Amino acid sequence: MATLRDGRVLPGKLIIVEGIDGSGKSTQLDLLRKWLIGEGYLVAFSTWNSSSIVRTVTKKGKAKRLLTPLSFSLIHTADFADRQQRQMLPALKAGAIVLADRYIYTAFARDAARGLDPGWVRGLYSFAIRPTIALYFRVPLEESLRRIMAGRPELKYYEAGLDIGLHEDPYESFKLFQTRVIEQYEAMVDEFGLTVIDATRPLLEQQDEVRELVRPHLAHVPKIEISGWREVLAREGLHGRYIQEMFPTLAEEI
Amino acid sequence: MSMSTREPQFYGYDLLASQARSLKGRLIVLEGTDGVGRSSQIALLREWLENEGYAVATSGLKRGKLAGKGLKEAMSGHTLGDTTMNLLYATDLADRMEREILPALRAGFIMLTDRYIYSLIVRSLVRGADPRWIKNLFSFALVPDIVFYLQADVEFLVTRVLNARGFDYWESGGDFLRGRDYYDNFVDYQRRVLAQFDAISDQYDFHRIDANRSMHEVFKDLQSAIRTVIADMKPAHPPIASRPAGDGGAPSGGAASG
Repeated sequence: MATLRDGRVLPGKLIIVEGIDGSGKSTQLDLLRKWLIGEGYLVAFSTWNSSSIVRTVTKKGKAKRLLTPLSFSLIHTADFADRQQRQMLPALKAGAIVLADRYIYTAFARDAARGLDPGWVRGLYSFAIRPTIALYFRVPLEESLRRIMAGRPELKYYEAGLDIGLHEDPYESFKLFQTRVIEQYEAMVDEFGLTVIDATRPLLEQQDEVRELVRPHLAHVPKIEISGWREVLAREGLHGRYIQEMFPTLAEEI
Repeated sequence: MSMSTREPQFYGYDLLASQARSLKGRLIVLEGTDGVGRSSQIALLREWLENEGYAVATSGLKRGKLAGKGLKEAMSGHTLGDTTMNLLYATDLADRMEREILPALRAGFIMLTDRYIYSLIVRSLVRGADPRWIKNLFSFALVPDIVFYLQADVEFLVTRVLNARGFDYWESGGDFLRGRDYYDNFVDYQRRVLAQFDAISDQYDFHRIDANRSMHEVFKDLQSAIRTVIADMKPAHPPIASRPAGDGGAPSGGAASG
């Protein structure tokens, strides 16, 4: 059940994925989304740090390196609040399955890794909807590094944790920072009851496990009548970039 | 509160303690509703203090380099939710705190601030925010050396605001009041704001100034209270009035010794 802070239960289901960069969580969530759409469920999607108004501030802060751990934390909370209000809450009220790529645990892990007080950060996010399922994709640092480095060699300033001066070399800094983030995630498994997925296993095995975890929550979720183009999207692995222009109200959920 | 290099106090979490060691300056806040005359008083106080030889800096809401512009854009669009707005305001304050206010205080400046966390707390409480959440959000803020609350009645504010620039969407609570027109909304909104300022006045140790009076009377009150706050500070420069003529333009009546 997705629950509001005051205990009210929302009709939709909120499924979130967490894990360090290179854990494969986004890939798994994407596969889950296609499957759910294919099954005819109404699916909405929200991804970390994507709110358009807030992002102009974040982009500027990153480009000009104006962000401190404190303002970094606050601007990401602003992004989250905006997405909760515009994307996640309306969809959950409408009974949709909302998939979130990263959630409040990303902030808890990163902000604590940057030295902020965990109690303060948890208080900041106290307005967050409690998710139905929170999946944590656990992967050893070395494995995640191998995956990341294969794709994009240049590490960004904040991504590598260079802002807190752990190491002057971006790659070494990234390793130290990710180690801290992993420590935070591991401590949160019990604190928040995160469901651990072994992310070193083959892709499809993981996906099977994810679907088995999700399935019991789908029992009373209303299905929408599957339209032709939804089926094409789901079966062909397309994102619907152009077709959504024909259905402006659906643009956010695709 | 100690008056030389002071022991920094925060409103809860001392997230910024490492940047707040040995603050030699003073943080002076002017709070109050829209149209009460805060910015005029700050302009006057700044000139007076600089004439006395103090190094003065100013700050105010939405003026930070990081989030100031984003906040203004968000407000012109009228589309962000209350929580998001509060978080953007907090981002802007954190940015100014770390890159303007604390550095200025470390360097011994008198920092005059046009509104601080109290306006933000009041605007969100009026809009129904959870008081505990708001308190936690702004708990990284440094406790100022003095907080002036310029208090004026709604009737007084109405004439001031109308005369100066007319009613504004936000100052009239346009985002959440469902009133008939801007005038009714302005009066309704400002009454709620005043009541909320009153409600938190003791909690935050406001120094109340009756702002239903002439600007000069208000200025004299601010001046005398600030004199106490800065009593044991040494000016960075000799007062302008005692400097030789030609050095910064001594005002008439100054001890020009040519």
